[in-house]
Amino acid sequence: MAEDTFIEIRDLHFSRGERKIFDGLSMTIPRGQITGIMGPSGTGKTTLLRIIGGQVRPDAGEVIVAGHDVCRMSREELFEFRKNIGMLFQSSALFTDLSVYENVAFPLRVHTELPEDSIRDLVLLKLNAVGLRGARDLFPAELSGGMARRVALARAIALDPALLMYDEPFTGQDPISMGVLVKLIKSLNQALETTNIVVSHDIHETSSIADKLYIISDGKVIGAGAPEALRADGSPWVQQFMHGSPDGPVPFHYPADELLYDVLAEVGP
Amino acid sequence: MIDLIRGVGIGALDRLGSLGNATILWLTALSGLPRRGDLALLARQIYTIGVLSLVIIVLSAFSIGAVIALQFYVQLSRFGAEEAVGLGLAMVLLRELGPVVTALLFAGRAGSAITAEIGLMKSTEQLSSMEMMGVDPLHRIVAPRLWAGLLCMPLLTAIFNVVAIYGGMVVAVHWLGSDPGGFWSGMQDTVEVWEDLGKGMIKSVIFAVVVTWIAVYQGYATEPTAEGIGLSTTRTVVMSSVMVLALDFLLTLGMYGDFN
Repeated sequence: MAEDTFIEIRDLHFSRGERKIFDGLSMTIPRGQITGIMGPSGTGKTTLLRIIGGQVRPDAGEVIVAGHDVCRMSREELFEFRKNIGMLFQSSALFTDLSVYENVAFPLRVHTELPEDSIRDLVLLKLNAVGLRGARDLFPAELSGGMARRVALARAIALDPALLMYDEPFTGQDPISMGVLVKLIKSLNQALETTNIVVSHDIHETSSIADKLYIISDGKVIGAGAPEALRADGSPWVQQFMHGSPDGPVPFHYPADELLYDVLAEVGP
Repeated sequence: MIDLIRGVGIGALDRLGSLGNATILWLTALSGLPRRGDLALLARQIYTIGVLSLVIIVLSAFSIGAVIALQFYVQLSRFGAEEAVGLGLAMVLLRELGPVVTALLFAGRAGSAITAEIGLMKSTEQLSSMEMMGVDPLHRIVAPRLWAGLLCMPLLTAIFNVVAIYGGMVVAVHWLGSDPGGFWSGMQDTVEVWEDLGKGMIKSVIFAVVVTWIAVYQGYATEPTAEGIGLSTTRTVVMSSVMVLALDFLLTLGMYGDFN
């Protein structure tokens, strides 16, 4: 294994009920870079992040993060391991009973023995990094979606984690906060030298910051490489995804009977 | 027919599975060692679960005590046995109504709130994000609520009993003019510390375990949607009430069932 590999996923299998989510998925995430994982909605991108974080156990396969197999950790080891992970949830998932300041202070208070004035300094620095130092006394209910996501980002980086995972960071953002988030992710990656995984289906934003892209569909990796290389990829599937064509190998229609047949069918009792 | 049997089997397995999950949840939550700051979390839950339930407990206790005293007085005075109101009231309250009504009120007031709160935390991914931060929600969210419930319910039962007896006294002695000496001495002569008070409190501890357990599990296992939370909250109240009433019958049978 090359020494700049941070996460290695080998032959991952996972199904939910009858549905196969991952069917022999393998990928490597390089250390200190931004890796984008893209694919249509419902391909299990979020599930993949949860498997890396040890919240979901796969049916088979290995997930090796910094030399440790996540799937074989005990409950205690997992909680210890997660102190090195920051995750930005799609819903931001701020604690609604705590102020912005207390939300960012939460991981510091729980995991460190720092005195109050050091916690204050750290919280203000992290909030400053996302441009929300002035919003420290607000409560999550008073924040806009974009602000909430930035606060969640400040909270995710509070402990300077080695791995930062972003779950659909651009979904539901207006163009300005989208631009702010793109810039933040890039600059945080450079400043903190963390390994970043960005799960998204926003091709434009993700390829503008990612060093490496994976496209997954039907539980497998169907395209991998630098964004420019993928754009030139010959596979019709990758082409359809990268250019956002409505029809192609992924059909526009959900499987159904012929339209004419369906329309003319008798309406049954 | 086969389908029916199959359905019953699947249903039973489902129930058994969730009972197992609930047991694991309960044991894991209560087994964690206390850490720094736990006392503050517990204090906060004792306030929301216990202190804020006081109003409804006191109001119901007073009116239930008053109503029972009134009924006892009406019936007993026909035999000239008004002074037995005190002892009848104490027996009914300490043995049955105190623990049972407190548990029912607790399930409606605090149990439903616990379920809704945890359910909403789950559906807004707050529990998930806590887990990803390396903080165990079983320890941080579930355990303080379980402990607070276990501590508060017996105390609320004790308060319920005291207030209900006071309410009964107001009606029997102050209003209907029963003899206060008879009221209190009848109670003193008959009520035994272990047989009546002790066994009643044991019931209350058992109800506390059942109600908080159901409330927490329903919240934790909720379907993370609006309907799911509504359903779980309803289930908490319904399951708690049914369990409390059924258990009360069994406990009474076990504790006082020696009729010879």
